[in-house]
Amino acid sequence: MRPVIIGAGHNGLVAAAYLARAGRKPLVLERRSEVGGCAVTHEIHPGFRAPALAHAGVVRDDIARDLGLEQQGLHVVRPETTLFAPSADGRALILSRDPRKTSQALAAWSPKDAERWPEFQAATDDIARVLDRLLRLVPPSIDRPSPSELWDLLRLGKDIRGLGRERLYQVLRWGPMAVADFAAEWCETPLLRAVVAARGTFGANAGPWSAGTTLGWMLQAASERHPAGAPSFVVGGPGSLAAALAVVATSAGAEIRTNAGVARIEVDDSGVTAVVLESGESIATDTVLSNADPKRTLLGLVDPMRLTPSFLQQIRNYRTSGVTATVNFALDGLPAFTALAKANVAAETALAGRIHIGPDVDYIERAFDCSKYGRLSDRPWLEAVIPSLSDSTLAPVGKHVMSVYVQWAPHRLREGDWDQMRESLGDLVVRTLAEYAPDLPRRVLAGEVITPLDLERTYGLTGGQIFHGEHSLDQIFTMRPVIGWAQHRTPIRGLYLCGAGTHPGGGLSGAPGAHAARVVLSDRS
Amino acid sequence: MKYDAIVIGGGHNGLVHAAYLARAGRKVLVLERRHVLGGAAVTEEVFPGFKFSVCSYVVSLLRPEIIRELDLPRHGLEILPLDGTFTPMPSGDYLWRMNDHARTRREIARHSRTDAEAYDEYALAMVEMARFVKPILEMTPPDPWSLHPRELARMLFLGRRFRGLSAGDRYNQVQLMTMSAVDFLDQWFETDVLKATMSASGIIGTFLGVRSPGTAYVLLHHYMGEIDGAFRSWGLARGGTGAISNAIAAAAREAGVEIRTEAPIAKILVREGRTRGVVLANGDEIDADIVSSSVDPRITFMRMLGEEHLPPEFVEGVSRYKFRGSSGKVNMALDGLPDFTCLPGEGHHLRGAISISPGIDYMERAYDDAKYGRFSRHPYIDIVIPTLTDPSIAPPGKHVMSCFVQYAPYHLAESNWDAEREAFGDTVVNTIAEYAPNFKDLILHRQVVTPLDLERDWGLSEGNIFQGELSLEQLFFLRPVPGWASYRTPVKGLYMCGSATHPGGGIMGAPGRNAAHAVLQDRA
Repeated sequence: MRPVIIGAGHNGLVAAAYLARAGRKPLVLERRSEVGGCAVTHEIHPGFRAPALAHAGVVRDDIARDLGLEQQGLHVVRPETTLFAPSADGRALILSRDPRKTSQALAAWSPKDAERWPEFQAATDDIARVLDRLLRLVPPSIDRPSPSELWDLLRLGKDIRGLGRERLYQVLRWGPMAVADFAAEWCETPLLRAVVAARGTFGANAGPWSAGTTLGWMLQAASERHPAGAPSFVVGGPGSLAAALAVVATSAGAEIRTNAGVARIEVDDSGVTAVVLESGESIATDTVLSNADPKRTLLGLVDPMRLTPSFLQQIRNYRTSGVTATVNFALDGLPAFTALAKANVAAETALAGRIHIGPDVDYIERAFDCSKYGRLSDRPWLEAVIPSLSDSTLAPVGKHVMSVYVQWAPHRLREGDWDQMRESLGDLVVRTLAEYAPDLPRRVLAGEVITPLDLERTYGLTGGQIFHGEHSLDQIFTMRPVIGWAQHRTPIRGLYLCGAGTHPGGGLSGAPGAHAARVVLSDRS
Repeated sequence: MKYDAIVIGGGHNGLVHAAYLARAGRKVLVLERRHVLGGAAVTEEVFPGFKFSVCSYVVSLLRPEIIRELDLPRHGLEILPLDGTFTPMPSGDYLWRMNDHARTRREIARHSRTDAEAYDEYALAMVEMARFVKPILEMTPPDPWSLHPRELARMLFLGRRFRGLSAGDRYNQVQLMTMSAVDFLDQWFETDVLKATMSASGIIGTFLGVRSPGTAYVLLHHYMGEIDGAFRSWGLARGGTGAISNAIAAAAREAGVEIRTEAPIAKILVREGRTRGVVLANGDEIDADIVSSSVDPRITFMRMLGEEHLPPEFVEGVSRYKFRGSSGKVNMALDGLPDFTCLPGEGHHLRGAISISPGIDYMERAYDDAKYGRFSRHPYIDIVIPTLTDPSIAPPGKHVMSCFVQYAPYHLAESNWDAEREAFGDTVVNTIAEYAPNFKDLILHRQVVTPLDLERDWGLSEGNIFQGELSLEQLFFLRPVPGWASYRTPVKGLYMCGSATHPGGGIMGAPGRNAAHAVLQDRA
C-alpha cells in the first residue's frame, strides 16, 4: 500500500521526495489550497510577493543535492552583509559573513570586540561542526541502540573529542547558559550583545536572561555558521523551495492532493489502516507520515484509546507556546534608516541581510517580560529582512517587500484577542520601525499581519509555535517530541512523525522529513 | 608547629571536612576568620536575649551519613521538625500544606480536586527522583574528557543508573534537569498559589525566575531532604542553626582537630607548584602539606593564592564563575505573634514556614525587578518563627522571626546596599503587614542582612548563599570550574571543600565529606 503523508509543508514534501525516489509512490494530502506549509510566498499587493512566514533559510545542502533541487531551479542568495542594527543613539552596526570585515566594522565600536570576533567565529565553526553531525542523526535508542546507531555515536564521540578539552568544556558549559551571559563572554558592546543574544531567543518562550537560551543560539549558529546569524534567501521566496520540492516528489512518482484535509487516522490492533479525509473519503494505507505537529497528530487525528494515558499526558505536556508574529509589507521604496545616513555603506548593501531592532539585552528581555503576563510589548524586538534587495522577482524595480518577525507576541493573550489586535500589531511594527526609519510609514503600500492565532488556524501550528514545539533543553534530540519516541516512530505501528516536532526541529532544513523517510524505509526493508 | 592539613574556614563544610580528615588520622587545624564558628550556619545573639540564625535558618539537606558517622546527636545536635508551609493570599484565602498528608490533601482539594490527586503522584515521583540523585550527591563528578578508567567507570555508572530507570522516571529525570520549575509543576498542578509556593524552592540562591529553565533542578535539590522518613520536611536545630556547626565542631575536636577563631588568612603558601601552608593576617606562618579551602573560589584563588600560581584557563574559569547573590535576610525580635487576616489566631499554621508567594506572576514580577538591578518591591519571603518550636532562643513570651527574602540583587543599578538597607527592611515589613496588619507593632528589633553584608561579614562573594549560583552550567562536573570538579586544584596539595564544589550549597556537608575522600585517596 502506498504511504500517505499528511501535510505538504517542506518536511512533508522532502519525505515524499525521498519515499518516491525509493519507489514508494507516496500520496501527500494537504489541507490548504497551496503546498509549502510555512514555506510560502504570498502576493501581498499586485506585483509584490513576500515570504509569508519563514523568511530566511534553505534546505540542508546534502538534501538539496540528493534531490537535485538546483536542477529544478532552486537558487539561493547569501548576501555578504549579514546584519544591520541601528543603535539607540543613531549609529549603524553592520556585520558581514567575512569575519575580517566584521572585525573592521566592530573596531569603531570596541577594539576588544573587534579583536575577539575571529575567535568567536572559530568557536562558532567548531560548534557547528559537531552539531552538524548531531543534527544529521536520527536520535539513537536509549535501551536498544542498534549497531549502526552505536557506530554513529562513536563517530559523534570522535568529533566531540576533536573539539579538544577546552572547547568541550566550553560547549558543555554554554549549552544550559542564559544567552545574555554567553553574549557577555564574547562582546562588550551592548548592541552587539543584543544581536547575539537575540539569535538564542528566536521562537523561544524565553528571554535572553532565561537559562538554556544559549542552546537556541547554538542551533541557529550551527545552521548559519555565524555568531550573529547569516541569512540565506531562496530566489522567489520560500514558496519556490516548496514548488521545487513538489516537482521533485511528483516527478519521482508522488501524488499531491491539495484541499484534502485529514479528519482522522484509522487504527486497529495491527496498526494504521486508513486515513479519512474531511470529505469522508477513506484512503487505505498501512503507513502514515504526519508532517503536522505532534499534538495535532497524536491528540487530534488518532483515537486516544489507541495510546496509553502516560504517553498522551507526555504529548499534552509537550510545550507549544507560540511567541512570534509576522508582518509583511509592500514598500514603494527602500526605507531610509537614519543610522545609515552617516555610514559609508550603501543602503542596498547594508540592508541586504537581517535588520535587528533591539538596542540592548534589557530591551529584548523587557519585550519578553510582557509576554509572561500575556501581553504584547509596546517595545517589541523586531527582526526584518528585505529579500527583494537580492531577488528582483519579488517586487517591481525600485520597490521592495519587507518581512518582519515580532517577538514576543504571546499566542495566549490575557486580555483581548488577536483578531481585534491585528491592526494595532501592524501599527506597532510600523511605529517601531519608524523610530529608526522615519519615512517608513509613507513607504508602506500594503501590509499583511499574521498573528499567532493565524499561525494556528491557517497554518495548523498548535499554539502558534513556529517550530512545532519549543526548542528547549528538554525538547531536543532524544527528547523530541518525548523521550523514548524520538525516532520518528510513534506507539502506533505504521504512524510516523516527519515534521519539525521531531529531531532536529524547526527551520527550513528539511532534515526531519529526510530522516523520517529514512526510518520508514528501513522499517519496511 | 606542623600540621598534616589546614582547613580554611570554620563553616559547616570546613568542619565536616576537618572531622573526616582527623578521623583518618591526620593532624588538622581549622582556621576561622570570625569570632564564631559556623560560617553561614551560625547562631548569634544579635540583640540581648534574642538568638538569631542570622543566615541559614532551616535544615533538611544535612547528609544522614554525616549525622551518623560523626555521631552528631551525641555532640548535641537535635533537629526539631518544622511543620508545613502556610501561604497567605491577597484574596483572603490561604494554602496550608502540613506534614500530615491526609490533611494536606484535603486542603489542596479545597483549591482543586485534581491537584489533590496529582499531589500523591508528584510526591511519589519526587521520591523516585531523589533516590536516583542521592548517590550522585556522594560521588566525585566524573571528568567527561578523561579516558582514565576511573573516570570512565564513573560515566558508565551514571549511564547505567539512567538506563535502569523506568520510562516514566527517565522522562521525569530529564525534565527535572532541564525545565523551569513552573513548566515542571504545570504538568502536575493547576492551582496558581500551590505552584507558586512549590516553585519558590526552585529559585533559592539563583538569579533566575521560576519560569527559567534549570530551576526545576533546584526544586529537587531542596526536596532531597524530604526523602528519609515519610514526608519529613524541613527542620530547625535546637539552639539555632549554629548548633549544627557546634555539634560538628565538637565531633571534629573529639577526633583531634584543633580549631582557631579570629585567625584570618592572608596567603596560601606555594613552593614549586605545591602548597606548604598558610600565612595568617598577623604574619604567623603555619606549615602543612595539605590546605583545604572551604571559602569560595574567588577568595581562595584570586585573593589567598594568587593568579600567578595557576594556569590561565583555570584563572579564566574562576573569574567567570558566577556568584550574583540574589537574596537577603531580615531577622526580627517580636513582642508577640503576627495575626494573619486570612487565618487569624496563634494556630499551628505559624509553626511551619510562612511563604509569601501568592502567585506565579507575583514571583515573576519579583524577579523582573531584580533583573534590572532593583530589589523586589513585592518580594518572595520565606518566614520562620523558630521560637514556636524552640523557645530557648528568646526571652519568655517573645519571639524571633527569620525572613529569607528574594530577590535582593547584589548589583544594584542605581544605588548601593548601605543606602538601601532600611528601605529593603521596610519593604519586607510592609509586605508581611499586608497579610498580618498587627505585625508592625510587634517589632522590637530588626536586623537587615544585605547581599553586601553577606560578602563583607561572611565572606560570601557577591552575597551568594551557595558560594556560586546553582545554575546548570555550574553544577556537577562543571562546578566550580570545568575539569576541576574533583575537589582538587591545579596546585598540588590544595583542595576545595566548600559549597562551590559538587553538590553545592545548603547545610548539606557533602562537599566537605566528598573532598575529604579526595584528599585521603591522593595520600593513600
